[in-house]
Amino acid sequence: MIDLLVTRDYYVASFLLLGIGTYVMIAAGNFVKKVIGMNIFQTGIFLFFIASAYLDGGSPPVLTDSAPYVSPLPHVLILTAIVVGVALTAVALGMIVRIYAEYGTLTEDTLKEVRESE
Amino acid sequence: MNLELPLIAFILATALATAVLRDVLAAIIAFATYSLGIAVVWVVLQAPDVGLTEAAVGAGVTTVLFLLTIAKTVRPSGDRVLERLDVPALGVTVLIVAVLATTLGALPEIGAADTTVITSDVTQYYLEHAYKEAGVKNAVTAVLAAYRGFDTLGEAVVVYSAGVGLLVVLGKEVFA
Repeated sequence: MIDLLVTRDYYVASFLLLGIGTYVMIAAGNFVKKVIGMNIFQTGIFLFFIASAYLDGGSPPVLTDSAPYVSPLPHVLILTAIVVGVALTAVALGMIVRIYAEYGTLTEDTLKEVRESE
Repeated sequence: MNLELPLIAFILATALATAVLRDVLAAIIAFATYSLGIAVVWVVLQAPDVGLTEAAVGAGVTTVLFLLTIAKTVRPSGDRVLERLDVPALGVTVLIVAVLATTLGALPEIGAADTTVITSDVTQYYLEHAYKEAGVKNAVTAVLAAYRGFDTLGEAVVVYSAGVGLLVVLGKEVFA
């Protein structure tokens, strides 16, 4: 059991980060906080991919170093995912600024009340 | 090797701090610290390209975006430092982590030489042919710009659409 956890420590960390991200997304009342939770969730997935590419004693996939190398493919996928994640965050935050300008609140519960009373 | 467990403890602690701090500014600062820790993890896992991007984009640009947002809106008022515990949300979280944890035994050991990712034909092909075919010594750059150039084009389309979306959503507030 302990052996399982120690040899797969990054996967365990990745699962816990997915958990923390989910918790923040559901529990936080503030929209900005929810977006932060989404970012934590994303990095949890990134950690899973990069850990899967790792090879003990491997060099970075730069061919001037000596073999063996870690796998370059997950790195490429995650590079793309990081940039897409930032685009997603930017749009979400833009919508939050718009919601605040329209309704004067950033809290989920207050927004629901305001919407119902209209 | 000895760096591994303290690093993991550090990122989990900063992620938890982000989750429990009630003031959004404090949570943003904790999240920036977390991003920095994650950037170090990428370097430890031999992914320097991802580490650079994370430090510049994750810890840099994302933090600036968050700070701009709270500068344009409000921070929650009140004296409480920590969030209240949300029991239903905690239940969902425990369930998700428990379901994910059941897959742990089926996953290969981290760093083992016989994992599917390392022994895959695709990985071997990229490492052998990147320099010959793309003329770049950095295999990550070769895959990103040459073999998977269409992925990168798609990424550029996403960033462009996000820019257009922001203009549409914020047109009145910021650019008028």
